[in-house]
Amino acid sequence: MSWRPSPLVVVVGSGGVGKTTLAAALGLRSARAGRRTLVMTFDPSRRLKDALGVGEAAGEREVEVAAGTPGRLDASLLDARRTFDRLVERYAPDEAARRRILENRYYRHLAGSLAGILEYMAVERLFEVEESGRYEQVVLDTPPTRQALDFLQAPARIVGFLESGALRIALKPWFDERGRLRPTARLGALGRRVERLLDETVGLDLLRDMAEFFQAFAPLYEGFRRRAGKVEALLRSARTLFVLVAGPGEERIPDTLFFARRLREAGFGLGPVVVNRVHPRPPGVGAGPEGGAAAPRDGRRLLGWLGARDARGLDQLGSLLAGGPPLVALPLLPDEPADLAALEALGRSFEQRLAAGGGPS
Amino acid sequence: MRPPFLESLGRRRLLVVTGKGGVGKSTVAAALGKLLAEAGRRVLVLEVDPRESIHQLFATHPSGGEILSAGPELWLQNLQPGTVLDRLVRERVRIAAVAQRVLDSPVYHHFTAGAPGLHEMAVLGHALQVVEGKVPGAPAVDLVVMDAPATGHGVALMVAPLLVSEAIRRGPVAALSSQVARLVRDPDRCGVVVVTAAEEMPVTEGLELAERLGRELGRGPDLMAVNGLYPALGAVFSEGPNAASSGEPGDDPLLELWRRRRRLNERELERLAAAWPGPRVELPLYALGRGPSLVAALAIDLGAQLQEDRPGVRRPEGRRPGARRSGDRRPDSGESVDGQAGGRPPGRGRPAARRPPAGNQGPS
Repeated sequence: MSWRPSPLVVVVGSGGVGKTTLAAALGLRSARAGRRTLVMTFDPSRRLKDALGVGEAAGEREVEVAAGTPGRLDASLLDARRTFDRLVERYAPDEAARRRILENRYYRHLAGSLAGILEYMAVERLFEVEESGRYEQVVLDTPPTRQALDFLQAPARIVGFLESGALRIALKPWFDERGRLRPTARLGALGRRVERLLDETVGLDLLRDMAEFFQAFAPLYEGFRRRAGKVEALLRSARTLFVLVAGPGEERIPDTLFFARRLREAGFGLGPVVVNRVHPRPPGVGAGPEGGAAAPRDGRRLLGWLGARDARGLDQLGSLLAGGPPLVALPLLPDEPADLAALEALGRSFEQRLAAGGGPS
Repeated sequence: MRPPFLESLGRRRLLVVTGKGGVGKSTVAAALGKLLAEAGRRVLVLEVDPRESIHQLFATHPSGGEILSAGPELWLQNLQPGTVLDRLVRERVRIAAVAQRVLDSPVYHHFTAGAPGLHEMAVLGHALQVVEGKVPGAPAVDLVVMDAPATGHGVALMVAPLLVSEAIRRGPVAALSSQVARLVRDPDRCGVVVVTAAEEMPVTEGLELAERLGRELGRGPDLMAVNGLYPALGAVFSEGPNAASSGEPGDDPLLELWRRRRRLNERELERLAAAWPGPRVELPLYALGRGPSLVAALAIDLGAQLQEDRPGVRRPEGRRPGARRSGDRRPDSGESVDGQAGGRPPGRGRPAARRPPAGNQGPS
């Protein structure tokens, strides 16, 4: 029996824990169960493109995966920069505005890393997909942020940023038509000193460029605010379930707990917490004291230590999450899943462990 | 003959240690700092992350923004970027009350929070000011090892000063950003260490980082540190209860798991070496939790490998008979690495003696 989650599954977690692979595996299982499914992911590795058998075209639009599943499986592998370029192409009011944005130096230097850009794109695409009603199941892999919640707060933050933040409201009125600071222009000599100080601290040219950049986007704001509001309502609704993925080991517990609590406090529906890449516990090997030194080349001892470390982490997390979301431990695999069969096996392993109460073995 | 690589790293004023989250970037930064301090440099390890954790690696109390001693010739600090800009305003506006009003004003906050690249420039600017002895109350240090933020690209951090120096043309921020922009492009004064893991995504990201650094700053990384490698089976499972099965690792699921993770590591190391032939160190997994002992173990590994003039760069005469070339990898061959001398251990065959002896792991 396959897992039947909410129509939208959002996979969150720190970078490097295997979110993207798990999202693909969940999507594949959903299509196997007969649902029309879309997996959306960001900056995926070549391996995932190969595993899903989709080419570069999946960076531009939803592409069907030849998985032979009863339900159609589509994948959309988004590249932040390219998606943003396309957004500009589509929404910029005219050719001049389009060129102004694309040639703006902030855009050129920082489009990939400017706070909120990836999240903005995720929201836009998620909205489009939801509106289309083409899918019974959407699995969204979130952008790799240090804090899983950055993504969830992004729509609200972007809206706040556009409405009252540093850039739109704060910037535009500050400059008059001649590019002079408005408030200081009225203040005479004192105003000129303040302007000079600001210029020397943050650079008014820099701010003028930024103002221009974001003003070029002004026609988009209203639409984005509406869409972001809808997406946020969707994320908080019963239609959405979050899967939190974490690395193994005791050291990861504080982060994992923090994410889980914040998700629930913020009113998001938290589903399974997945601890990924758990080292097996070798039979007959005690935990032993830590020590890379005493027996530096003893692989069995290192294995025993890694297995014991991960087991302790799982135990602690289990008791700390008791009564809360189910905990699913996925073992470290010999190889990273590199084809559809391996992804499917991973998805099946997840479902079996979830059904069995999440145990590691 | 060229001097050991360590010596050339130690001559820099700033080492930016960058890489994606989850690969042990902070631990490697701490180990590098410890190693350079032991080599006689006065080192500040600078953490740039609102969530402080580097103090755990040196078993000190949290820095809280202050510079703390973390051992002989070694200091640590968790930096809050805003403090650097605030300091510049205080220097510029000599009347304390007026400076405070500026710092408290919403206009200042909006502008400093909104200006792209300003915080990144300020972080690097702080490092420069520390090594130049321009930060009041800071110890005199020879170099700063910066544990760069895990979010975003390390490239954005390093490009920021250029952007800011183009945009701000007068005043203390302009002066600092142009100095910092010169620093990051000067390979004699600023080094970049990319920390990665020998898995597909981290290697791909490490290579992208190297490529972008070259394209946008005209310089590549100085060193790739590949962390968390599974030691080669031949080196670690040569004896013990399951030695009998060494010829057929498939018999033992644990050995099979280890063997295949190790093979994945080797495959990715080959891919990395083929695409980026620069200096590289390889650091193994240790049965040690995150803390001073792990830092000490990694510092010893780093020290041994950085004694070469081009660490990790295999020369024809240095290639052992069993070592693989990038062209002959056989990822799916059924060969047994277990028990063979040909498996390449993380230190490429150096004896285990460079590991820390028991009871001598703490800061000395």
